[in-house]
Parts: sequence; structure tokens; C-alpha cells
Amino acid sequence: MSKSNKHHMGIRTLNRVSNGAIYTLLAIISIIWLIPFVFIVLQSFRVENTYQVGYVIPQQWGFQNYINLWNSDFKRWYLNTFIIALAAAVLQTVIVLCMSYTLSRFRFKLRGPLMRFMLILGMFPGMLTMIILYRVLADLGLTQANAVPGLILVSVASSGMGYYVSKGFFDTIPKSLDEAARVDGATRLQVLTKIILPLAKPIVIYTILTAFMGPWGDYVFARYVAFGTSSGYNVAVGMYSWLTNDQIDRMYTTFCAGGVIVALPVTILFLCLQKYYVEGVTGGAVKG
Amino acid sequence: MKKLLALIMALAMVLSLAACGDGSTPSEGEGDGGGSADISGTYDVVIWAPEAAVDLTKSQVEDFNKSNEYGITINATVEPVSEADAATNMITDVQAGGDLYFFAQDQLSRLIQAGALSKLGTSAAQFAKDNNNAASILAAQSGSDLYAYPLTADNGYFMYYDKSVVPDSDVDSLEAIIADCENAGKNISYELENAWYTAGFFFGVGCHSDWVTDDDGNFISIDDDFNSDKGLIAAKGIQKVVTSKSYVNSSTADFASGSAVVVTGTWNYATIKDQLGDNFGVTDLPSFEVDGQSYHIGSYSGCKLLGVKPQTDATKGAAIARLAQYLTGKDCQLARFNSFGWGPSNKDALADPAVTADPTLAALNEQGNYAVPQPNIHGSWWDIAKVITTDIKDSDGSEAALKAALEKYEQSIEAVFTMSDDVKNAFTVIGSINGDGWTLDLPMTADGDIWTSNEAYTMDAGVEFKCRQGKSWDVAYPADNYVVETAGTYYIQLNAATGEVTLIPA
Repeated sequence: MSKSNKHHMGIRTLNRVSNGAIYTLLAIISIIWLIPFVFIVLQSFRVENTYQVGYVIPQQWGFQNYINLWNSDFKRWYLNTFIIALAAAVLQTVIVLCMSYTLSRFRFKLRGPLMRFMLILGMFPGMLTMIILYRVLADLGLTQANAVPGLILVSVASSGMGYYVSKGFFDTIPKSLDEAARVDGATRLQVLTKIILPLAKPIVIYTILTAFMGPWGDYVFARYVAFGTSSGYNVAVGMYSWLTNDQIDRMYTTFCAGGVIVALPVTILFLCLQKYYVEGVTGGAVKG
Repeated sequence: MKKLLALIMALAMVLSLAACGDGSTPSEGEGDGGGSADISGTYDVVIWAPEAAVDLTKSQVEDFNKSNEYGITINATVEPVSEADAATNMITDVQAGGDLYFFAQDQLSRLIQAGALSKLGTSAAQFAKDNNNAASILAAQSGSDLYAYPLTADNGYFMYYDKSVVPDSDVDSLEAIIADCENAGKNISYELENAWYTAGFFFGVGCHSDWVTDDDGNFISIDDDFNSDKGLIAAKGIQKVVTSKSYVNSSTADFASGSAVVVTGTWNYATIKDQLGDNFGVTDLPSFEVDGQSYHIGSYSGCKLLGVKPQTDATKGAAIARLAQYLTGKDCQLARFNSFGWGPSNKDALADPAVTADPTLAALNEQGNYAVPQPNIHGSWWDIAKVITTDIKDSDGSEAALKAALEKYEQSIEAVFTMSDDVKNAFTVIGSINGDGWTLDLPMTADGDIWTSNEAYTMDAGVEFKCRQGKSWDVAYPADNYVVETAGTYYIQLNAATGEVTLIPA
């Protein structure tokens, strides 16, 4: 009795020990993962001076860096970025979902060739088109101070080609649902909005999120299009301009505050929609 | 089908737009401002100034509008663009770039070659030369012409130190400073893995490295003696710093993170003053000792410049030239000194009591006795010269290893363009031989005027090649590519006198 009891305890202790080890490991990993974020947040509240120092915990706390942000061009950059990201999120989502619905449910002669054509076109590295796109935008007058509509155009223009994941998800929704709705008198559009989209919520949210994130973190193209004109910068380009040799000592903590403000909406968005996001990423992978 | 057609049409449209996008910019400047022609009027001008100077520049332009005698009204848009970034931004699209822009002098050649700087006219150049010190004029010069107006002459480095670690009696000796820092467990921030700082040691022992440019901003040759007995002394000096456990490769204001000595420039003054408080010390660079001889470490001195973009409208160009002269004049330079501590290049401003009393400018001035004005430097040199330091650091410390580092440096700069006469005159074969895509020069040997390839090559019919001299296309035979008619293995022979190419079966 006592012997078997001991044995039982042995397994439980073993479990505890291994769980303890795993949790310690996870805790260490998450601390490592969180250090840069904590560091940036702490630095953004440090007001005793504005340059880089050799310690992490501020000696004096305050909101001066955020006030500096408010008084700089940062407001404008933030607004620019937000407008671009929002417009891209709305337009791209509409285009991608329509595209996926069409390619998933309609059968027309060029469907196959068109999909193959887009696949090949998609292999062409987008960065290589940068100079030509710049010239086109410059000739249309959509650079520098007008960079915002220019960047919206660029991020939305070829978005239809990113239909793969959502088409894959739509393919898993049984066609008989469509047919039933059609028999009941629904139009094609009604089938999309009333039947498919409610069933495909994760993929819709995934599309919105990725469309929003692209322009939110864009640097290379934004810098190219808005060069030398502060009113056309997005946050990445604007904040990077604070990091030159002659400015970093004055702007370092303000830069950290900017980093926090930039990360906020994205973090909130992700925390709220995380559940759907994971479903969306994996959902399209299983083809029915 | 319609969609495909639309796509093709769209592509065609994009391509045609791109084709007409290349606008030509006038290469020759008209920014003379010397003539008596009427240049009054209102002009829209975009000015790129560093973020800190934006507000001051705006008010200076307003002052110019009120005070100028030519009836010019400038409607200025001032954009914050760092002088370190100006060339990168200008080269993106010169037409859309700023009309007037602040830039650091090392970008001069790139900007001239991109057609982003207008040459100063005779009277404008005279104005600049009369008012600014010699080093700053040299910085704005390419060939015999001036391409920009000097704004500052403070881009040099010297030494900030923590008086509590390095006593004033030690600051003249590199060895004493290293010992003080090692004993106190403090760091020495000296960015020797950056050619700008590396070169200082070599200038200190009397070496020179001069690049020669022509009027179009092209580099013609280099005269450099870093790889010499004197250079070896400098290498030993560098070795002393980089082998110390205190050495940190940095030029930022590191006093808050463990340094007691930082070699950097005026731009870090305010920060360092704040970091060190009462222990603040600043002076010229120290001397180092090799074989009983003492050598004062040298440095580069450099400038910020104000560039004027070439204008299609000559009157506007002349008006902007007037504005540029005003902005680089004594009053504006002094205002910048008072606001951000930028050391003036203007002779009158340099004599101002406030300027002579400034501690960092005093240190810079003292260091100036050992500084070499930074000329136009080929862009590749920075990467080549900094390797000297890393090679010394990674070496076993023997004299042979130091010599090898300098030898490697010399070979690298020679490879930039200074080819020996033998290489310049020699012919080589280049083409689609051996499946090569015109990338490899195959050697030939001369017998009088007759050059023969060193090897016989197996070539299929249709293989094309040319013989060229000095690995460039200035002299190349035959005029059209030589096309092999019958497959086989041949030596290639060239008569350099007639330009005739023949194949000799092997």
C-alpha cells in the first residue's frame, strides 16, 4: 500500500519537476522576448536627459518626451500613416475578398490562365519596380507632399494578387450552401455577404490585419516617395530622420516615446483579434 | 480576354511614362549673381536644413527679404533634412530636391556628378573666397572651381575627458591616458575602426593621402604614403589604443555608460557637458611615443556646405545665389554659432570674441595645428582605410603583421584606379569565350606591336570577343566584335599598329 502510494507520488513529483522546469524556461524566454519592449517603454518616461545612458530604470519620470512628440511633426506623420494604413486595409480587403470569391466560385474561360499569370507575376520581386513606380508617381504628382495618396495607390494597386489564402479558405465552404441560397433567390452578391463572409470571419480579419500592417511599418518605399518633405513622411521615415548623428542625443528618448505610440494601436488590434488571426493563418491551409 | 488586354495596355502605359520621366537638368550653373541684370521678383524656394536649424533658417530668410537691395522676395519652404542625408535624398530625384541644401563636405563629388550642384560664378566664388577661411574653400572645391558655399568649419575631432579619471597633467600623453583609464576600469571611446579617425594617426607622423579630382568631380589619381616607415610608426600608435582593454570603437557621448575619454567633435558638446558637469574637460588630441620619439595625433578638419541646385530659370538662379551668400555670411554664421555652437568658417565671425572663448572651438583650434583639411575623398577609401585598424587589432602584434596591414591597404587603394603603366598599356581579350559573359579579361603578351593571347581557347562558331587596352573601351579592336566562323582551338593575335585581329589555330 505504502509502496504503491510512494510510486504514485513519484510520478506527481516528476510531473511537478518537469512542469517547473518548463515554466522556468518559458519564463526566461518571455523575459528575453519582453526586454526590448520594457526597455523602450522605460526610456520613453525618462526625463533627466535625452541621450543614451548606461542604465535602464529612469532617475526621473515624466511625460516630457510625449509632450515633445506632440509638439513635433510626429502628429502629421502619425496621421499620414494611419490614413494610408486604414485606406489600404479597407480597399485591399474589399479587392482581395471579391477576387477570392470570384476565383473560388465562378468558372470562366480565363480563370486558369489568369491564376497562373498572377502566380508568375507575383514571383517578380516588388522592390525592383521601385524606381519605375517612383517615376510614375512623380509624373502623376503623387510624391513628396502628396505622398499619402501615392502610397495608398501603391499598396492597393496589386493587392488582388494576394488572394491565395482566402481563396483556399472559401474553397473549404461547401458549394451546396451557395446553391441552396441561389435556389431561394439570393443574388451572387447576397451569397457572398450573407453566406460566405459570416462563415469566413477569421479570414476576413486576417486580411484586414495584414493589409493594415503592411503600410504601418513601411519604410523603404515611403522614404523613396516622400523624400525630403516632412509633411509626406510616415512614422517610420520621420522617426528614422531623428537618428542622425547630430540629432540622436536630443531626440533619443523622444524616439522611444514615438516607438511606444506607434506600437499601441497594433498591439491593441492584435490582442482583440488574436483568436481570429490564428484561425485565419491556419484556416486557408486545409483545402476541402 | 478584355482583362488581359487591359492589363497589357496598363503595362504599356506604365512603361511609356517611365520612358519620358528622365528630365534633363542643366549641368552648368548660372548662380552667378554678378551681373547687374534685374533679378527682383518673388521666388518659391525649397530649402533643406537640419531639423535643429529649420526655425532659424526661416527667420534668416525673412531677414533677407526685408534687407536685400535687389527687390527679391523669397517664399521659402524649409524642410528638415539632415546634412548627413542630403546627397542620398538629392540623388533620388534632383529635379524634385531642395533648391538650397545643407550638406557635409564628403558628399561633394557625388552631388557634382549627379548634377545637383551649380558651379559658383566668378563673383560668387570671389565672395566665398574673400570671406571664408582657406580650409573651408578647399572643401567646396573640385578641380579649380567652387561648387558650394562654406557654412561651418567645425567638422573635426578632439578629446573630451573626465577630469576625475584623467588628471590635467596626463592629457598630453596617450600612454598616460590609457594607463589612467585601465587603472580606473573606465573606457576610452575612440572610433578608430572608422577611416576618418584612423587617418589621424598617419597625419600625426607626417604621412599624407591626397586625392586629385578634375573639374567634373571625377577622381584622377591618389598620392598616398601610409605604407612607409612613417606609416609603421602610426600603426604602432594605433596598436597601443586598440590593444588596450579600455578601447571602445565609438564616438558617441559615452560618459554615462562607462567611458572616461571620448574622441569626438563639437556636435556632442552639450550632451557631454551635461554628463560630466564639474569634471568636464576638453582639449586637443594627445601625443604618443614610439622609439623615444613623440608624435602628436593628427586629425581631419572639415566643413558643412550650402549647395545650390542648378536652376532652369536664370533669374531665379541668380536670386538664390544672393540668398545663399546671405545665409553663409557673417551674421547668419554667428547666429548659428550662438544657437547650436556651429563653428563658423567666416573670417570675421571667427574673430568674434564669443567664438574665440568657446572651449570646444578652442580645442578644435588647437587641434587645427595638427589637422589636415579634408579634401574630396573617393567613396571607397573609407572602407579601405578602416581595415587598417581591424587588421592591427586582429594581428599577433608583431611588426611584420603591422607591415602586412599597411601593404594590404596600399594594394587596395591602388586597385581603385591607379594602375601601373604596364597594366594600362596591355591588351586583353574579353568576350563570350569559355562561356564567359564579357566579364573576364584574358591576358595577352606583346612582341613589338603583335599581341598574342597567353593560351589557346576552344571556341564554337559564333563566339564573339574584342581585344581592349587597359581594361577599358577607349582602345578596342576590332571595331565590331570579332565573330568566330569555324569552331576550333585558336590563339588570338592582335596587330596593335593596324588593329587587325586574327585567329591562329593551335
